[in-house]
Amino acid sequence: MSKGPNAFFTNLFGRNLALSDHLTLLLGAKFTMSLWVDKYRPRSLDQLSYHPTITQNLKALASTGDFPHLLVYGPTGSGKKTRIYATLHELFGPGIEKLKIDVKTFVTSSNRKLEFNVLSSPYHLEITPSDMGNNDRVVIQDLLKDVASTEQVDFTNQQQQIKGANGSSSAAGSKHRFKVVIINEADSLSRDAQAALRRTMEKYSSNIRLIMISNTTSNIIAPIKSRTLLVRIPAPSTQEVSAVLSHIAKKEAVKFSSPNEPEINQFLEDIAHNCERNLRKAMLCFETISMQNESISLNSSNSIIKLDWEVIIEQLSKSILTNRTVANLAKVRVVFYELLSHCIPARVILKNLLFCLVQAVGVNKSKIVGELVSVGSVFDERLSLGQKSIFHLEGFAAKSMVILEKAK
Amino acid sequence: MVNIKDLLGKSKVVEKAKPASKGGRASSTPKHPIDEETKPSPKKRKTDEVKSSYFKNKSTPRAAKATPKVYSVDSDTDLESEDDFKPDPIEVDEDEDDDFLANEDDDIDLDLKEDEEEDADDLVKDEQDEEEEEEEEPIVEKPKKKRSAPVKKEATPTPKATPKKAAPKSTPKKEAAAPSASTGGKSAEDVLALIPDAVLPEQDPEEAKKGFNFFKKAAAAPGSSGDAPEIPEAQPNCLSGLTIVFTGVLPTLDRDASENLAKKYGAKVTKSISGKTSLVVIGDEAGPSKVAKIKKLKIKAIDEDGFVKLLTSMPAEGGDGEAALKAKEKREEEERRVIEQAEKEAAEEEKETKRKEQELKKKKAETAAKAAASSSTSNGSQRLPEEPQRIIPESEKLWTVKYAPKDLSQLCGNKGQILKLKNWLNDWFDNAKSDFQNPGKDGSGIFRAALISGPPGIGKTSAAHLIANSLGFDVLEKNASDVRSKSLLNSNIKSVLNNTSVVGFFKHRDDEAQGQNDKKFCLIMDEVDGMSSGDHGGAGALSAFCRITKMPMILICNDKSLPKMRIFDRVTFDLPFRRPSENEVKSRLMTIALREKVKLDPTVIGQLVGATNNDIRQMINLLSTVSKTQKVIGSEQTKDLSSTWKKETILKPFDITSKFLNGQIYSPNAKHTLNDKINLYFNDIDFTPLMIQENYLYTRPTNVGTSMEHLERVAQAADDISQSDHINSLIRSSEQQWSLLPFHAVMSSVKPSMEIAGTVNQRINFAGWLGQNSKAMKYERLLQELQYHTRLRTFSDKKSFRLDYIPLFIEKLTEPILKYQDEGIESVIDIMDYYYLTKEDWDSIVDFGVGPSKSDNYLKKISTKTKSSFTRKYNGTSHPTAIYKTGNSVTGRVSGGGKQKVDYEDVIEDDTTGKDEQDDEEVDNDKIDAKKDKLIKEVKSKKKAAPKKKK
Repeated sequence: MSKGPNAFFTNLFGRNLALSDHLTLLLGAKFTMSLWVDKYRPRSLDQLSYHPTITQNLKALASTGDFPHLLVYGPTGSGKKTRIYATLHELFGPGIEKLKIDVKTFVTSSNRKLEFNVLSSPYHLEITPSDMGNNDRVVIQDLLKDVASTEQVDFTNQQQQIKGANGSSSAAGSKHRFKVVIINEADSLSRDAQAALRRTMEKYSSNIRLIMISNTTSNIIAPIKSRTLLVRIPAPSTQEVSAVLSHIAKKEAVKFSSPNEPEINQFLEDIAHNCERNLRKAMLCFETISMQNESISLNSSNSIIKLDWEVIIEQLSKSILTNRTVANLAKVRVVFYELLSHCIPARVILKNLLFCLVQAVGVNKSKIVGELVSVGSVFDERLSLGQKSIFHLEGFAAKSMVILEKAK
Repeated sequence: MVNIKDLLGKSKVVEKAKPASKGGRASSTPKHPIDEETKPSPKKRKTDEVKSSYFKNKSTPRAAKATPKVYSVDSDTDLESEDDFKPDPIEVDEDEDDDFLANEDDDIDLDLKEDEEEDADDLVKDEQDEEEEEEEEPIVEKPKKKRSAPVKKEATPTPKATPKKAAPKSTPKKEAAAPSASTGGKSAEDVLALIPDAVLPEQDPEEAKKGFNFFKKAAAAPGSSGDAPEIPEAQPNCLSGLTIVFTGVLPTLDRDASENLAKKYGAKVTKSISGKTSLVVIGDEAGPSKVAKIKKLKIKAIDEDGFVKLLTSMPAEGGDGEAALKAKEKREEEERRVIEQAEKEAAEEEKETKRKEQELKKKKAETAAKAAASSSTSNGSQRLPEEPQRIIPESEKLWTVKYAPKDLSQLCGNKGQILKLKNWLNDWFDNAKSDFQNPGKDGSGIFRAALISGPPGIGKTSAAHLIANSLGFDVLEKNASDVRSKSLLNSNIKSVLNNTSVVGFFKHRDDEAQGQNDKKFCLIMDEVDGMSSGDHGGAGALSAFCRITKMPMILICNDKSLPKMRIFDRVTFDLPFRRPSENEVKSRLMTIALREKVKLDPTVIGQLVGATNNDIRQMINLLSTVSKTQKVIGSEQTKDLSSTWKKETILKPFDITSKFLNGQIYSPNAKHTLNDKINLYFNDIDFTPLMIQENYLYTRPTNVGTSMEHLERVAQAADDISQSDHINSLIRSSEQQWSLLPFHAVMSSVKPSMEIAGTVNQRINFAGWLGQNSKAMKYERLLQELQYHTRLRTFSDKKSFRLDYIPLFIEKLTEPILKYQDEGIESVIDIMDYYYLTKEDWDSIVDFGVGPSKSDNYLKKISTKTKSSFTRKYNGTSHPTAIYKTGNSVTGRVSGGGKQKVDYEDVIEDDTTGKDEQDDEEVDNDKIDAKKDKLIKEVKSKKKAAPKKKK
């Protein structure tokens, strides 16, 4: 990209942060400022390494210069957002990476003032309405409508037309007279907010395109689903994860205890497996491992990185297994509170705790395991129906203590 | 003693009998002028007399026993005569003409039936009965039997009405027993000696019960299933002089009922055992410390049956015991005082009214004369009371007005505080001379204003007015009915503060003693905590006045602990008023009752006090209401009335929780319905579930053997609580299904506590969920901030940022420092800058660690020196920021303007605010301009500017 438009951006938006980005790229691996996961994130569709069919489809979509509303869903760490940004990159060019964050203020119906952060580039907005809790409807109504009812004025295009002579840059901008709004955590949008979204999606479809990101489609109301193109991004396979990791290993010159290629691959696959094929987690774990060891011994036990909260849950399960008394339940409550207050989602706690318990009991004891799982699922449902997570976690702990005590 | 047939026959006669002993009765009560007036109608009088003559005819101790003692002027030791002039007042209302006859027939039927039953019971009893009390047993048992049959009719066994029913039932057997029971010359000690000691818990309780259980068993036989406590009739005041402690759970009576019973008969009920305790009624699960104390002090301990027996066998007035006599003396003394007081007041009042009438006449004449001349007395409000308005006759006034305290001695309770206030006000001008520098004896000398605080209805306002009046101040009162906003206070009060009163001048203009023109003013601000949103800035202005006032100010409020009252904290002389105790209220109420010619049983006052929560005003109001229909208020009516009187007091969360978690409300004889329990929850629908959840693990449930069983119960409770949360979210969510609230009550509070109710092992904790929740919210906010700051570099959402990123970030951001100390700081700052993290973010990231990576583990390892050099180094350089808070968003512009609006109302005497604001804005503008030019801007300066702006 030429220097011209870049400088222009800098002046026009005043918050262009891409500059330092370029610097990092230039200076490369010397600085270990960024984490690998961010450093080796693919920027364009061509750099994406797995799910080639999805990539193809997205490319086709982008090449038409127009696309429908999207609902992108899949497990965490499967690369939803990366893919979306790569698509946008394809669509709008590198301008999409000139990100800035604005704080917008809203006034709720109860006259409470709320601050809301909006990430934006000249071509798109990214919002997380669920940050506002129950007030997400206000965001959808106010902000989205506002954006939607204003037409996109494409400065880039004009600039390029003025500078048109050199013509090196793609003229893609002129075609896209719409703004893209990415809605994060669409599955935690409240019903009200989703209902508010329905009409907006149709009415202003000439001005905005929505890309909704969620982990699951089950919380999204049918009218929205029918208005969007569903794109599922499955988690990468262990091989795909290990491929990415080995690519990083090469670039970062990670030392392994043995240069044996298959062994290394096996080790990386172990990591992928332990991280439940969550690519983000796998990369972060891999970095942690390499940080802790000068050269990584290819011991499979070494591939397991227990995160702080995972350690606690494991200890919790041990305490439930061994000490099945009411007094211990009171102690368990303290640990639950500790985890919850440190923003570990309750469902993650429940799931991990259940798996730890099942593992400790032994999968072959199908009766106990069955009971545990059924109790776990009951409380999992209640977690999503209720509001006070501690009640349900404690209920699960108490019930599972009874099951374990009875089985003794 | 009379045979039953005789009695039956007699009672029929009696019913039609002519008033016989009227004259004699009247003459025997020379000091009792009320007696005549008490009888509202000739009809009533007739029945009244019928009753009394009936009792006379019978002349058994039973009758005396049955007549609850009504407040008596000259409490006579002689049972007979007392009975004579004190007809059971209840009968008057209770058995009025029509049902009198009907009852009669019923009774006979019942009696016959009962006699049969009784005989049968006696047989059973005889079998069971082993030793002793062949003599006494029937007496004890007799009243119980009587009660057990009519239970269906009157579930609450009030002691009333039984004389008629009970008396005719006496069997020959009782006849023999009677004398021993009713000998007037017995003392409490004698009676107690006859009652076997309760077995203290160390021994096998089963063994101990055997001796007495037959009472219960026998009583339960006639179909009442034992759930109605058998409360015997007893002699009036028979327990007087005794100090009784109840402990543990009594088998049939619940705690309140038994305590009320004891109080009714004149005993003093205390909670803890001391040397003064004369006996302990001990139940199941009595506390071990109490038992130890009983042993140590060698106090007589009896069980419930013993207590029942005590009631039946104690003679009236507590017998001849020393303590009983003393107690009686005291009571008589009190009664005499009350009467004196009442008489004095009455006399004074009469004088007063006479004087007023004269004055009025005089005034009328004068004003009529002057009316033409002085048409322009513009001293409006101050003169109003002087105007000859329509005079409301005393009898039409509300009692609370009529009997409002007229001098300081009439105020109930808080004597010390009243004295303090008086002294303070008295010395006010002396203190003013020394410019309030001299604290004086009680430290009140430095205050220009006093703040009286306390619950409603205890005479705060009365006290303030009385004191001000008694010291010759003119009172200027402002209360919640006046608008008291800052501007109005400034315009109205401020000018007054420096003035002297001219009322005195006008008031005494016509008097000869014009010289003593009192120019003292006192401002009483009532209901200060009632200053609401309408009184904008009023509280602030008032507290400012408190500092500068040139005249004494008395502020009155209910709750001093409110945050908005805090501004008065150091500028006022704090005088917390407490609720007056029963004893303090007693004489006042008795006086009023006497003057209104209402018979009020002194023992009732305790219940009144309990029902109204020590609110004198309400007590007087209640008396006033009741007196419209009833001229006699004895302990009998109070049972029914106290429920209607009961002031709806909202229980505090702690009380609710302890009620729920204590097994008592779930015990089968607690008579606590599901609705009652749900109502407990409704005392505080927000806190109750949380409190239950917090504390349900810390009980020892009753009737739980194994720890497994306990665990199962707890699990069930936890399950219910978890379900209740689902219900709660249906109620609070957009669905707003508030009709589910009772269901939520059951699932969140009633059922869980039913599972685990028992003894609470530890102090009841406050709901921890609130604190934990706000902690979680705080971290949530931090996390959100972190996620936004790093968002330009990372692509994750909040959840996975916490789960995946943070553990690595903690490593990355601490490892270099841990490894290389100061040398590592550079690279950490580099990482931070790359991710747009601030120093605060660094702190919060480290703070996010749990378990092995708990923040302490890292922070402790970093030396203070390194820490401070880290901070210095970070602050020394400039850093990129990710978020610009400019407020110029699409919709933000309007609200952005609003953000800078300052609430000037609460700012007192701060003239510089406006300027500051401007300065800030200028600075701000500069900053924004700078931002447009430069990418990187210092964070610090921005942060500094922000709080100022919010001021």
